[in-house]
Amino acid sequence: MTSRERIREVINHRKPDRIPLDLGSTLVTGIQACIYAKLRKALGLKGQPVKIIDPFQMLAYVEPEIMEKLGIDTAGLGLPTNLFGFKNENWKPWRLFDGTKVMVPKKFITTTDNEGNIYIYPKGDTSVSPCAKMPKGGYYFDVLVRQETIDEEHLDPWEWVKDQYSVYTEEELRYLEETAEDLHRNTELSIVGSFWQGGFGDIALVPGPSIKQPKGIRDPQKWIMAHILHPEYIKGIFNLQCEIALENLNLYYQAVGDNIDVIVVSGTDFGTQKGTFISPDMYRDMYKPFHKKVNDWIHKNTPWKIFYHTCGSVVSLLDDFVEVGIDILNPIQCSAKGMDPHMLKKKYGDKLVFWGGGVDTQRTLPFGTPEEVRREVRERCRIFGEGGGFVFNPIHNIQARIPIENLVAVFETVRSF
Amino acid sequence: MADLKEIADNLIKGNAPRVKELVKKALDERVEVEKILNEGLIAGMDVVGKKFQANEFYVPEMLIAARAMKTGMEIIRPILIQEDIKSQGIVVLGTAKGDLHDIGKNLVGMMLEGAGFEVIDIGIDVAPEVFVQAAKEKKAHLIGVSALLTTTMVSMKDVVKALKEAGLDGKVKVMIGGAPLTQNYADEIEADGYAPDAASAVDKAKELLKAVRDEIRG
Repeated sequence: MTSRERIREVINHRKPDRIPLDLGSTLVTGIQACIYAKLRKALGLKGQPVKIIDPFQMLAYVEPEIMEKLGIDTAGLGLPTNLFGFKNENWKPWRLFDGTKVMVPKKFITTTDNEGNIYIYPKGDTSVSPCAKMPKGGYYFDVLVRQETIDEEHLDPWEWVKDQYSVYTEEELRYLEETAEDLHRNTELSIVGSFWQGGFGDIALVPGPSIKQPKGIRDPQKWIMAHILHPEYIKGIFNLQCEIALENLNLYYQAVGDNIDVIVVSGTDFGTQKGTFISPDMYRDMYKPFHKKVNDWIHKNTPWKIFYHTCGSVVSLLDDFVEVGIDILNPIQCSAKGMDPHMLKKKYGDKLVFWGGGVDTQRTLPFGTPEEVRREVRERCRIFGEGGGFVFNPIHNIQARIPIENLVAVFETVRSF
Repeated sequence: MADLKEIADNLIKGNAPRVKELVKKALDERVEVEKILNEGLIAGMDVVGKKFQANEFYVPEMLIAARAMKTGMEIIRPILIQEDIKSQGIVVLGTAKGDLHDIGKNLVGMMLEGAGFEVIDIGIDVAPEVFVQAAKEKKAHLIGVSALLTTTMVSMKDVVKALKEAGLDGKVKVMIGGAPLTQNYADEIEADGYAPDAASAVDKAKELLKAVRDEIRG
């Protein structure tokens, strides 16, 4: 069974020859550069600078030789423009605080303050305020809030949307078309399309990290409050975003067609450690209609399976997710309240594919022993893997500072399934 | 006649302008400021915390209620200071070294303030010695440290250590919280307490400061 066939089996809820694996096909199933460098070494490969595909979370480009060694079954299809609004091209060397050597794009231009904190700029433009900060000694960038004074009487949804979303250019479409065709023809991997534009209210994007001068409500805390104080503004933004997303989906389909198996639609986090950010009723009123519109279009016009990412405890939204046609859920944060693997598999195993949930990244992976990691991976593979419907990935990206023995234990254990 | 319950009810609904108006009205009518605080603002926030714990309120409802509470507090704070009315205790709050994620920390701060604590928010990416320094300067009873990342939560043990080195362990309590944190971890690093969410943080702070509070209140 090829990787592509294997993924196609599980996303159609059939049992594959072995549990398929994803590493690095999306920005939520990847691996941070420092730990990736250690993984290369642990796999007996010689050290070399790690190429950064996401300068925000400092995610590594997962190279074909690593994919082969680990038995990864997926390949990501995404545009080269990153979250900070510049292209991943014209590579230059850089170094992380822990000494890890990396390659970053030319427009990855940083400044350092007196305390040693590093700042990065939207579209690589240092003439405007920085959009993100890596604290001294850190492993990631975190988005900085650049909130201009809000004129609550004149909130304009279009002003918010126009700098964030636009119709694909011809160049972007040809890139998608050619890359998808190349991956389809020259690999046996299953291709995961990173669309993301159905991510209404994605809190990583609300501050506008790619925008030089973000307008409107950009402070996440104010954004959350606006759900009650200015619901028409939020819905107005979603409505305009949805129109662009639908137009782009049409273009995307014309460009990549059946070459991709999975489309990543949303990265909006709805869950916290103990429940949802907003009430289920508010989800139904403000988000669900837009999820339905986007998903309906995809199901009606394409054979793709729909992938949604949401962290946290989303138990109270799962029936709604099924109803709006979500096929694949990620990252399955089992450490959040109520996200019990047995319950999830029993109640939703025939409706949702679990893409993640492989091992706890909040406790077991960073702080457990290799034996504890093995035990948990075995348990998760047994529960989620039964009868198919499971793509192995730890919960969210593999983070920096986890013991490398633990990560090696993960991949050794999955191999026996 | 000023209706303190009306203040509480409007606070719960997150109606900041109305809370402001009603607090002013109560002051004009010479209602004791401590009464406005306890029976209006604190009583309202107490309900908000309970509703949050019962999944009736979510983050947006909590944030707008806290905003209303803050509006009321701004009016009465100068009077509280003037009349030397003691808080439930002084809490220094910040995120762990290297951690810039502060929504959780802010929520905890709002809930503590709404429960009558004096909250000194020292911001994000706070070094252990800065926590201790602030606790000393402000004569704090409790330090609250929050983290979202597994890479930054480990610096919490240095806060506990720095406090010991300053000879303040036992005198200043340490409470930790944030998505990857657990009671086990609190035990391991010998922090005095852990709270899984902002509403529980109030209960935990009250529990930890019971002895201290009795002393303050005399």
